[in-house]
Amino acid sequence: MTSSETIDLVEDRALDPVGLGSGLTARQVSAWFGEHKVLDRVTLAMPPNQVTALIGPSGCGKSTFLRILNRMHELVPGATLSGTVAINDIDIYRSGLLVTDVRRRIGMVFQKPNPFPAMSVAENVLSGLKLSRHRSRRHDPADLVERCLRRAGLWNEVKQRLGTPGGALSGGQQQRLCIARALAVQPEILLMDEPCSALDPTSTRRIEETIAELREQVTIVIVTHNMQQAQRVSQYCAFFLAEENAPGRIVEQGPTDKIFSAPDDPRTFDYVSGQFG
Amino acid sequence: MTRTTELLRRDDGVVEVPGDPAVEERIAVREFQGSDAIELLGCAFGAFCLTWLVYERLTPLSGGLGFFVSWYALFLAAVWFVVRDRLGPLEARDRLARVVVASVALGLLIPLGLIVGYTFARGFHALRPQFFVQDQSRVGPLSPATEGGGSAGIVGSLEMVGLATLMSVPLGILTAVFLNEIGGRLARPVRMIVDAMSAIPSIVAGLFIYAAFILALHQRQTGFAAALSLAVLMLPTVTRTAEVVLRLVPGGLREASLALGGTEWSTVRRVVLPTARTGLLTAVILGVARVIGETAPLILTALGNTSLNANPLKGNQDALPLMIYRLIRFPQTASIERAWTGALVLLGIVLVLFIVARLLGGRGPGHIGRIKRYRLARKGLA
Ligand SMILES: Nc1ncnc2c1ncn2[C@@H]1O[C@H](COP(=O)(O)OP(=O)(O)OP(=O)(O)O)[C@@H](O)[C@H]1O
Ligand SMILES: [Mg+2]
Repeated sequence: MTSSETIDLVEDRALDPVGLGSGLTARQVSAWFGEHKVLDRVTLAMPPNQVTALIGPSGCGKSTFLRILNRMHELVPGATLSGTVAINDIDIYRSGLLVTDVRRRIGMVFQKPNPFPAMSVAENVLSGLKLSRHRSRRHDPADLVERCLRRAGLWNEVKQRLGTPGGALSGGQQQRLCIARALAVQPEILLMDEPCSALDPTSTRRIEETIAELREQVTIVIVTHNMQQAQRVSQYCAFFLAEENAPGRIVEQGPTDKIFSAPDDPRTFDYVSGQFG
Repeated sequence: MTRTTELLRRDDGVVEVPGDPAVEERIAVREFQGSDAIELLGCAFGAFCLTWLVYERLTPLSGGLGFFVSWYALFLAAVWFVVRDRLGPLEARDRLARVVVASVALGLLIPLGLIVGYTFARGFHALRPQFFVQDQSRVGPLSPATEGGGSAGIVGSLEMVGLATLMSVPLGILTAVFLNEIGGRLARPVRMIVDAMSAIPSIVAGLFIYAAFILALHQRQTGFAAALSLAVLMLPTVTRTAEVVLRLVPGGLREASLALGGTEWSTVRRVVLPTARTGLLTAVILGVARVIGETAPLILTALGNTSLNANPLKGNQDALPLMIYRLIRFPQTASIERAWTGALVLLGIVLVLFIVARLLGGRGPGHIGRIKRYRLARKGLA
């Protein structure tokens, strides 16, 4: 894609906010912790308005890859990387985009729920706007809080106690609060690192519904250990694998249906059919 | 079907709990129960009797300390045997450890209680309400202890410590933020300097301000100069405590804040510091506790004053420790009594300050105060 096309994309988005969203592309991404290489030349396109699932055994570098996508990897002392990551063909590492802007546009939900304990439920939802100084004047805060909590499937449970501390919710509620918090800054892309691993089936289903709704406006990348979940929510799927003493790589990627029904690589087949190691 | 299930199951299949469900009895899971207390008391009493027998009847031993130590050792042995007999050796060892830890903690209270009690006993009977409003300018060496008061010292102490807090707390917390959030190669020398600072004898801090501020800049001895020297002493305490407290803030919160597009500074200001609020308050309290009783630096920097001077920028100022130091050296009993009253008031002030601080911000990070709740409610967010 040339730069003129990029501009077209941006204008499209401006004209039609529910139209084509932002896509994310990673090319030849490698990552190190100190001298320990954990990712080896990963190339993956995460097309707009699709859910991309990252699957693979523990320790193969899925979280690391996800954190590279919104520049969280560099927060770990000694962590380095190579390759390019581009949002709508703008390199997030080299183009001079502010790192805070990158992170605001590419939101993240962590595996462990981490609401801010010193803030109330409502403040937690609004915290992103305050933290990034990106106040949208169009929205009434109370209205924004309600909308985000509704989209995260939490509104009915907390509408009576928006003033209670965020830490006073149950684990599943906290995770949905974190999703609401991530949505409030209106990210173009949302990265989710095993968002349901601490949740009960009901909360999980609600979050999966949320993901399906969000897909219309937001590009989603989700890490999951749950094969059924990957099948249910994603359209595209990448299988990561780190063979013994080797950094993690993408063994196979493709449309979710294909990965789960007719994978090319026998290792993928073993993994998705539960016959792995 | 057994008898109990028959009792519980009615004909219509509804399970009924026998007894009145309105008064559920809660299971007492407390481990320490009345019988345990009796057991401990029994052991203590038995050990006392045995020690008394040994000391007073059987051997020519004497001496308070030896008696006490023997009693304690016998008490521990008795506890061990009794509990082992009843619950086995594992439980006995556990109980023994608990008794030792608890008695050491209680033992620590003894000197504290003695100090407070003695100060109270010596200082209370000369304490009159006017102690808080009058100064010592009209008090002669022979006037009774109830005459005059310590207002000069009270005002001076509060102002000096207040100024020192204003100076050292922001500086200390910012340094802690630097050490913890930014770090880098400079962090280690800074930490070393802070540690070295905490070992400065207080008289040296006073000397430093005397030389570097009063002499070098041609200043006079004032409350402000004294506050400077107190700030020097407070700074390392506040910094190191705040650093430890900030380190306890979970890294996940920082990451969450940065992932939302927060800058480092907004992360510190809106997430890290509010989360650590209670602990930071402890840092401030420890800092105040470090300096409020300091006398040595004030001798050089504030000089003391028998009449009330509320202006810390001009003229010598008194402080409670200075006043105590000055009065206690007089031979007259009235003067000495006045010094004890000053000491009692100083203890009282410390107590009040700490209680106020705890009330203001002492609740954990998960607590949302009334003022904030009101503010949120006005925005329709609560
Ligand atoms: N902070 C770190 N310092 C050093 N090595 C790390 C660090 N974080 C992760 N690693 C290493 O990087 C590799 C990839 O870790 P990563 O967390 O990306 O795995 P993952 O695929 O997300 O696993 P899981 O499914 O268990 O979450 C692992 O070998 C891990 O030991
Ligand atoms: Mg992971």
